[in-house]
Parts: sequence; structure tokens; C-alpha cells
Amino acid sequence: MKLLLISKLARSSRAIHTIAQYSRVASKLGHEIAVFGEKQLDYPELQFSLDVHAFDMAIFIVYMPSDFPDLPYLANLLDGMPKSRRVIIDCSGRYNETTRVEHDFNHLEKMDGHQGWEWIEAFKSVADRILQPTLTPKRSDVGSFLFHGYDPEGVAQPVTSAAEATQRWSRPKKYGIAYVGNNWQRWTQVRRFLEATRPIHQKLGPIALIGWDWKQRPDWAVRMGIKGADVDPEFLQQLDVEIGDAIPYTEFSGFLSNARFCPIFQRPLFNELGLVTNRLFETFIADTIPLVMVPEPLAESIYGPAVRPLLPTNDIGSWLRDIIRNPEPYWEAILRVRQHLTVHHSYHQRLTELIAMLGS
Amino acid sequence: MNILFVMERRVNAGSIQALANYIQVGKNIGHTLAVYGNPDSQLSEIYFSKEVHLFDYVVFIFESRLNWVSGLRLAHLLTIVPRSRRVILDADGMYNPVIALDGYDRNHASERERQRWVSSYEALADRIVQPTLWPRQSQVQSLLFYGYESRRQTVQASSHAKHVDIMHVGHNWWRWREVSERLLPAIERMRGAFGDICFVGLWWDAPPVWAAAIGQEAAFSVNPQRLRELGIRVLPAVPYRDVISTMGKARINIMTQRPLFRRLGLVTSKYFEIFSADTLPLMMIDPGHAEQIYGPSGRDLVLHDDIASKLVDVLEQPKKYQEVVQAVRRHLTAHHSYERRLHELIEMLGGRQPAVKAG
Repeated sequence: MKLLLISKLARSSRAIHTIAQYSRVASKLGHEIAVFGEKQLDYPELQFSLDVHAFDMAIFIVYMPSDFPDLPYLANLLDGMPKSRRVIIDCSGRYNETTRVEHDFNHLEKMDGHQGWEWIEAFKSVADRILQPTLTPKRSDVGSFLFHGYDPEGVAQPVTSAAEATQRWSRPKKYGIAYVGNNWQRWTQVRRFLEATRPIHQKLGPIALIGWDWKQRPDWAVRMGIKGADVDPEFLQQLDVEIGDAIPYTEFSGFLSNARFCPIFQRPLFNELGLVTNRLFETFIADTIPLVMVPEPLAESIYGPAVRPLLPTNDIGSWLRDIIRNPEPYWEAILRVRQHLTVHHSYHQRLTELIAMLGS
Repeated sequence: MNILFVMERRVNAGSIQALANYIQVGKNIGHTLAVYGNPDSQLSEIYFSKEVHLFDYVVFIFESRLNWVSGLRLAHLLTIVPRSRRVILDADGMYNPVIALDGYDRNHASERERQRWVSSYEALADRIVQPTLWPRQSQVQSLLFYGYESRRQTVQASSHAKHVDIMHVGHNWWRWREVSERLLPAIERMRGAFGDICFVGLWWDAPPVWAAAIGQEAAFSVNPQRLRELGIRVLPAVPYRDVISTMGKARINIMTQRPLFRRLGLVTSKYFEIFSADTLPLMMIDPGHAEQIYGPSGRDLVLHDDIASKLVDVLEQPKKYQEVVQAVRRHLTAHHSYERRLHELIEMLGGRQPAVKAG
């Protein structure tokens, strides 16, 4: 099958990692994938095409309004591909009732100029099928398709046993904790987590926060009164947290492998809607211990029961101390989760699911 | 007929004044005209609708920016409204070859940019109209679009009651060269003969901070010091509903137009608003074009050769010029009312389609 993906690409955010993985896997499975648009030299790993008629399906990967292309491309695309052959993958739950969780939201007019009805009407009019990367879509007219996946071949340091992994992990690493992700709707969780690690800060080693807007609350957020990009620079300074700019997706697992622990946080909205992101899968290919800070039901539904040791306890400090003291059972859990992900969530599997869904 | 306009919302620029008139006139004669979207408290006279399927035609109004419609909104509109029922009003003459005037004003910065506009228009709609009497492209139809509020009764105050002698209402967008080379020297020559002079609008005090970022420094070029030296006050822009009353505060109002628009014969709201105001309008446009739009009397209100003497003459003989203005108003009522304009729009929409090819 020939699939045309429509998405605004960014090297350090949204679906770029997933799109690159689909492109890699497609040729092995005898399919063809291209991103709609003119060739972008920043993405040598991707195929691009404007030839709408050469494709069987158009798949809109939507996070924000600008994921729909500009003129003239959008008009050519919509005129060239009938609605029955268009699909929307709604990555951030826009196609739902307006939902607020803490400071997080799926619609906010002052943020992007669109009210909830516009998202609903636009999605309905553009495509016959709307999919969301959740196992539990809230609307009956939405299909479940996790979209993101796991790349078993991408594991940074393949190991054959938990003992071997433990031995490697016990060598010194640059960071005690590293989190790579942008400061968007995550501060409450990050702060709570860092507060909890404060008593064992010296034992853990340096902390790194990598992504947009960790240095300070951005001007636009202050101006617009948006709370989702809050941050407390003084607090981070007290903990000597190293702050860095966003890194391209190709450097993600390499960077995380420099840290002993890597927490996985998701936006409150995503946790509420059960939406998954590629971060849930990517973190498990790094040579690090993922700390799965997402709700237990969501975590177990994706990672399987083996994930339990990697879920936080009420006392995060004690939990981390225990991992440091006796890491092997935790690595055992990681290897079993990796196995689960390989079987159930590989990109090979995911693309096969998508093709089956489109062909049905 | 039900007509939906899709436009960039700007309260102090663009086509908003025209739309307020279309909506009102349409209501009076049984047509429904609306602007796409949610109601906007800043635009209380405008009827907004999001029920796209209720409209027979959608008119996209493009000015100087191509991608002002969000992709999400456009995707919805393009899916609901078939191409044959979409029309583009090309207000700034972008559907033309690259036109660059004296290395200054231009419609496109490059051929590549022009191609993008042209292919976008051709992908979007079957029909393109321009507010000019002489479109240069055979595929483009002429539709002046902007019109005169014939229903508005201009209440004439005594010219002695006005505290401002000369006013210019409009933004500094490709206007500085003409203002600085033709208008300001004339004012300078006879400054003592004039009282208060005001420029009302954006960017006469300074260019916007983002001018360089969009590669448009030349469009906003200005020397505020020179205005100050001539005792010209700069006042902020006013919302579209206050334009006519603001103009009415001055004995004379001067209309300038960017060189590109003059070259293409494009008309704007300002062409007609200035005649709705209680003022003596003077236009810095080609006399031939003035006659085409305003009738024979229009020539008498053009600032062309000796601008300084004309300004003095108008201030000294207001009655003479008021008669000229009345003659123009009669012409505008007969030929350019919004009632007439709406008929032209409906006729155009119901007419045969020109040969704009799909991209």
C-alpha cells in the first residue's frame, strides 16, 4: 500500500520519530511511505511527494492547526484524494469534548485561535476515519490505533541478561536523572518528582532537563496567561539542574543513555485520555532505567504486568534508593517490558495493524 | 442568495467596512451575507456564521498575506464547499505578474513567491475577481467590491467648527515615498497657511518591530522627525466604524494610495469612505482614474501638479469645493452604492465561470 503522511515536521517534537520509523519499516514490508510536501533537506531519511494521485491513502497526523498544509498544497491534496481515502490520526485528543485537566486542555481559542467545534467539524469533514493513539477512545466514531511504537533494533546497548545490564548500568554515568521533553504541561509532575528526589540528590548525581522552555516561563505564556509552561528557575538552580535546548530525535536515546534514571512523564490531558506518545516506547531503547510516571492502568496496558517494579511507589526516594542498591530485578523488569514491546508494539506490528485497518 | 465571506479579521484595516455594508444592504433586500466564524465583540455590526452548508457561495478575501487562514479552518471549508462555489477577491492584485515600481513598491518579492500565490488561487477557486476596472489577467473579472454608503446622510458642520485643517487617515504601508516626496514638500512650502495637520494610522511614528523579519522594511519606511518638524501630529489608528467620523474632524482629508494599487487601478474602502465624511476630500491619484470612479467632477479634487496651491485654494474657497464634492456624491450614489455593488456581486456569482484552471 502507498501511504502519504501529512504532518508539519519538527526535529525535536511531535511525531518525527514515529514517521521516520514507519518509513524505515515500510520498505521491508513492501509498502511505500512518503511525507506530503516538497523535499526537505533537513530530513534525508524521509521520502517526500506532492503527487497525491500516486498514493492509496492520505494520513493526516494532527497535533495542531498547522499540521494541515498551507496553500496551495492543502487544496491540491483535498481535491486529489477523496474523503473515503483520508484518515486522521488525532495525536492529542482534539476530536473530543473540550477537556480540562489541571492547566492542560485539548482546545483553547486564545492559544491557537480555534474553539472546540472547529476541531470537531473540521475532522468530520476532512476524513471518514479518525483514529486516536489510545486504547480507550471516548467517542464511538473514533478508532483506537496506538500509532507510536517500539524499535527493538534501536536498543542502545543490547544485552542478554539483567545481570549484564546491571553491570553496565553500574558504571559511572554523566547524569543521575535526565528528562528529555519540552516544558509543556509537565511542570507540576516534574517539580513533584524532583522534590521527592531531593533527599537523595547527592547520591543520584547531576540532573538534566532538556527541551524548550525549562529556563523560564516563556514570554508568550506570560502574555497570554497560559499556565502550561510554568517553571521555577530558582528551584531548579537549588538542585543544580542542568538545562539544555531541545535535541533532535536522532540523539534522543543516546542522550538518555548518559543517565541512570529517565522518568517518563505525560501531559495530564494525555493521561486522562489514555493517549500514548513515542516517548513511552523510545525511553525503553535507551541504556537507562525508565521510571514510568504515568497512571498504572495505562502503563500496564501498554507495557504488560512486568512494568510494575518501574512504577513509582508513594515514597519515590526509597524506591530510587532500592533501585540503586539492588538494580538487577529492575533490569529484569526492563528486559521483560522490552520483550513485551517487541511482541506487541514494534513498528513492524504497528504498520501491519494500520495497513489492515485501512484495507478493511 | 446566501454569501459567506472568509477574511482575516482586522478592525482597523482591510475590507471590514465593506463587509459591514454588504451585510446591512443584504438584509434590507433579502440576501444573507455573513463572515465565517464566531461572533466577535470587536465587530458587533458583523453577522458571523459557521454554518458553511447554508451558503450558496464562499468569497475568500485575500489581501497581502497568503496563509492567513489556518489549515484546520481551510481544510473544513474546502471539504464542505466545492470549488465551483468558491470565489477569490484578490484585493491587493497578487494574481498578476511580478510588478515592481521604481525598486520600491511591489506585489511580490520574487517570481517564486508569485508562483506560490498564483498556484494557491488556482487550487482554491474557479473564479478570481479584483477591485479594478481593468484587470490585467484575462482570467480575472472586474468587481469593484468596495462602495459608497448612499444611505448615510452626511451632516455638514461649519468648517469653522473644525480644529484640524488637513488630515490623512491611513496606515504607512508603501506610502512614505509619495508622502515625503510630494505631499510634505507642498505642506512645507505653505506651512504657515495651514493650521493643525494630523496623520491618523499605524506606523507613521515608527516602523513595526517585525518589519525586517518579514522582509518588508521598505514598506514601512518613515521619518517621524520630519513629520514633527512640520508640526504634523500622528494619531493612532481608529476602528473601521470611526473612520468616517474621524475624517469629519478636518476641513480637508487627503487620500494617498500605494503606488502598486495606483498602477493596477485598485480601489479600496477609502475611495468611498472619504466622501461619506463631512470633509473636503482630496485624492493623490491619477486624474483619469479619479474621473472613472468619481465622475467628471472627480478631477477637480485630485492633488496632482501644484499641491500646495490646491490645498490653499480648497481651504480658502470651501463652498466652491463643497459643490464639487456634492456632485461626486451624486455620482457615487448612482454608480457605486453598496446596493449596486451587491447586485454586481450576485450577478457575478450567478454568471458563467471564467477559465481559471485548477492547479
